Amino acid sequence: MLRLRGSLLLLALAALSLAQTGMTLATPEIRRVGDKLACLCGSCKNSVGDCPMIMCHYSNPAREKIASMQKAGFSDQAIIDEFVKKEGIRALVAPPAEGFSLVGWLMPFIAIGIGLVMIWMFLRRFRKPAAVPEIDPGDFDRYRDRIDKDLAKLD
Amino acid sequence: MLLISAGILTVGAILYTLFVRAKDLPEPVPPSPVAHLEERRARIYEGLRDLQFEYRVGKLSDADYQQTKLSLQRELAAVMAEIDRILGVKPAPKPAVAPQPAAAPPKQSAAYVCPHCGAEFAQALKFCGECGKPMTGETGA
Amino acid sequence: MENLGALAILLAFCLSLYSVVGSLIGKWKKNLFLTISAQRAVYSIWFLLTAASSLLVYALMTGDFRMAYVAAHSNHAMPALYKFAAWWGGQEGSLLFWSWLLATYSAIVVFTNRSKFREMMPYVVSILMATQCFFLILNAFVVSPFQVLAVGRGITEVPDGNGLNPLLQYWSMAIHPPMLYLGYVGFIVPFAFAMGSLITRQPGDSWIHTTRRWTLVTWLFQSCGILVGAGWAYAVLGWGGYWGWDPVENASLLPWITATAFLHSVMMQEKKGMMKVWNMVLISATFFLCIFGTFLTRSGVVQSVHAFAQSPIGKYFVVYLTVGIAATAYLILDRLDYLKSESRLESVVSREASFLFNNLILLASCFAVLWGTMFPVISEAVTGEQVSVDAPFYNRINVPIGLFLIFLTGVGPLIAWRRSSLESLKRAFMWPAIGGFALMVALFAAGVRHFYALMSFGLCLFVAWTIVSEFWKGANAIRAKSGGNLFGAMFELTHRNTRRYGGYVVHMGMVFMFIGFTGAAFNKNLITETELGGVLHIGKYELKVSDLRDGENQNYAWNHAVVEVRSGGKFLGSLEPERRFYKSSGQSTSEVAIRRRLNEDLYLNYAGVNENQKPVIQAYIFPLVSWIWIGFATLIFGTAICLVPSKIRLQYARTEVVGMVGKHAPAER
Repeated sequence: MLRLRGSLLLLALAALSLAQTGMTLATPEIRRVGDKLACLCGSCKNSVGDCPMIMCHYSNPAREKIASMQKAGFSDQAIIDEFVKKEGIRALVAPPAEGFSLVGWLMPFIAIGIGLVMIWMFLRRFRKPAAVPEIDPGDFDRYRDRIDKDLAKLD
Repeated sequence: MLLISAGILTVGAILYTLFVRAKDLPEPVPPSPVAHLEERRARIYEGLRDLQFEYRVGKLSDADYQQTKLSLQRELAAVMAEIDRILGVKPAPKPAVAPQPAAAPPKQSAAYVCPHCGAEFAQALKFCGECGKPMTGETGA
Repeated sequence: MENLGALAILLAFCLSLYSVVGSLIGKWKKNLFLTISAQRAVYSIWFLLTAASSLLVYALMTGDFRMAYVAAHSNHAMPALYKFAAWWGGQEGSLLFWSWLLATYSAIVVFTNRSKFREMMPYVVSILMATQCFFLILNAFVVSPFQVLAVGRGITEVPDGNGLNPLLQYWSMAIHPPMLYLGYVGFIVPFAFAMGSLITRQPGDSWIHTTRRWTLVTWLFQSCGILVGAGWAYAVLGWGGYWGWDPVENASLLPWITATAFLHSVMMQEKKGMMKVWNMVLISATFFLCIFGTFLTRSGVVQSVHAFAQSPIGKYFVVYLTVGIAATAYLILDRLDYLKSESRLESVVSREASFLFNNLILLASCFAVLWGTMFPVISEAVTGEQVSVDAPFYNRINVPIGLFLIFLTGVGPLIAWRRSSLESLKRAFMWPAIGGFALMVALFAAGVRHFYALMSFGLCLFVAWTIVSEFWKGANAIRAKSGGNLFGAMFELTHRNTRRYGGYVVHMGMVFMFIGFTGAAFNKNLITETELGGVLHIGKYELKVSDLRDGENQNYAWNHAVVEVRSGGKFLGSLEPERRFYKSSGQSTSEVAIRRRLNEDLYLNYAGVNENQKPVIQAYIFPLVSWIWIGFATLIFGTAICLVPSKIRLQYARTEVVGMVGKHAPAER
């Protein structure tokens, strides 16, 4: 009985590992296109080209589709457009640099720019006169002696 | 059983929280008016030590060392003056003309021994890594 | 039993409310009894939450499947460790765990400062307890871990639970969440002290000295949490990635970055009394990013693998964040005069200035990560279409930022405080720079053409060189003075200033990690079906599948492949990647087999047999990955050094310097 259950489980395991034809599809041509398409399986941030999850339910069919479209003579761009038509912009690994998505790309650099300006302002503001604490020279000499002695003791 | 433990939990927590006796109050710590200045001073001393060490290691040029040391000393003196002012202590008496004459009689006339404090160094230095005074033998500042 | 647990949480909630109000009124009315009573409430809350947590853990351990949480996250077959880990395995339990940690931290804070900071402590307590109160609202009223199944359903009990997600049944997953939570929760302590000193206008920087160790330890926990998580992802998820820019991963990275910036820029305040406003902003940002990260993980705002089930707690977080940030901003703006800088910059070429750039770079990367994480939400709000950014976006922006950061890691510590002349710079940088450049040329000549990889290796050598030479020169200076051997001198050197030299060790850890990250530029992979006795080739390795086995135990059924690894005809050992099928949850996972070496990891994943009854093997080569874990160990070691008190300070305290009126100098510990 137990053996039977065990083999049933193994059958289930084997069934789970089906649908793996996609994995032999890692040819350079497919990767070239796949690298521009996001894997939308929901649990990774990879591209279709290099998603290494073995049973990926998105990347594997996607690769098959790329392969079949390439066989039918579609250009790279046409294949990508086809994916975008079906899934929307999210099918791309990175949004195209146009419209609002351009803001998405530029924002980090704008932030760095703002940061640089802030540093520049900071430097300008705090570079100005060296604010040596006001202390009269006589006092300074008196304390200096004490400081020297303390320092010698400290080391 | 459940009711009892619930009761104990509730009463215990509330009693412990609310029942504060006079002897549970912490001893008042007299606040020091200069605590933050003393902290500052400790920090500047540390900075000075670091500076001297960096110089001895050879990471700093002579000019950098002198300049930074002077500004640190100035800041330190200002902090000390402020502490003395708050505590009402009279400033230290003006030192004699020769700052530390007896502290370190120069052992040899080698160029690597500081004429002011007697510290010895492996290599020639313009300024002493211990007391910061010029190593040239003339009594500088 | 569930009633007792719920009662304890409810009581703790009431007490936290009492503590917030009592503390503030006690302060304003100068009623010491009330203040102390409010502090005692903190201990009571800790006790109550400990009781509640023990009850939950007991229920998980004994399998009390009347309770919804237990039924969803535990089962009979799981090992005891994972039953215990189920405490933080789900939404309700992990929020209780969070509350418990916060209560523990608060109790420690109150205990260690029981007779210190009489002015500031009531505010610190009320800030801690306000947050505690917020989390207890969630625990008590929104997502109670003590919910019984019977509520709203026909059943009262299930025979066995679902068990913990099998992916989480891995030893490091028992460590990763607590570490991360310890980090997330811990940042509230420096934040509370910062706000306390801001409210009461404490003279000096006592909040920084008091919380320095807290910040460091918390930062260490956060680092451990992140890296243990990375190690888990690498060893468990089966595709060899350690970082996927997933929103939840990003959420843990954000406060880590700002905390790192804080740890650096706080030195400016200690040494020179500058950047006070900025440090306030950084510590507040760190704290709120921690809360924000929790919000992101639990509210289902962004899609993520890690996210807990969607729940209504999102809006509570939004309210808390809004109120908290507004109050903090108001406090900082209202007290700008108190935060005025005490001194000025002497030179643009100085340590101070280098910290400015360090902060800019860290914050820029923090912003880029935050921006990328939130971009789906933002783009949906603006254009109506959800556009998400993937790994290429983060990499394109963060790789150059990371390289610049590692460059600053080398440069910063060698520039002197206040000013550095050209001559000083030349002394410090000439040889390391030549060394780094020579390495780049050599690698280029050896055929490495990857631009970022070349840069990274060159910079890593440059930084490592500067760090080693710091130790070398310093130790020699000590030997010149007091003799002894090199190791003794290095020990002495480090002991003299543990913060600085511990910091160098942490930097070294970062260098090791960057070496590991750079290895990713040379990853190789191979996915193929094979047959029993078939031979695969990847890199220099020959892999032969020599056996396929199967079996089962109480928890799961497994089958694995035995793969013999040879290189150049020499037998190197055999690896046994395994595939598991968990019975109670019906999920399957893969246990990869990794041959870890310093130069590269051979990583095998067994995907089971395909429709042709042939075993499918996935083989990867990940160069240099081990250096990330070496860097991690180095980072822990370095942080531990930083936590040891420096020798200088102790000596100074004993010296009784002139001008001390019957009081020791403040020896910070």
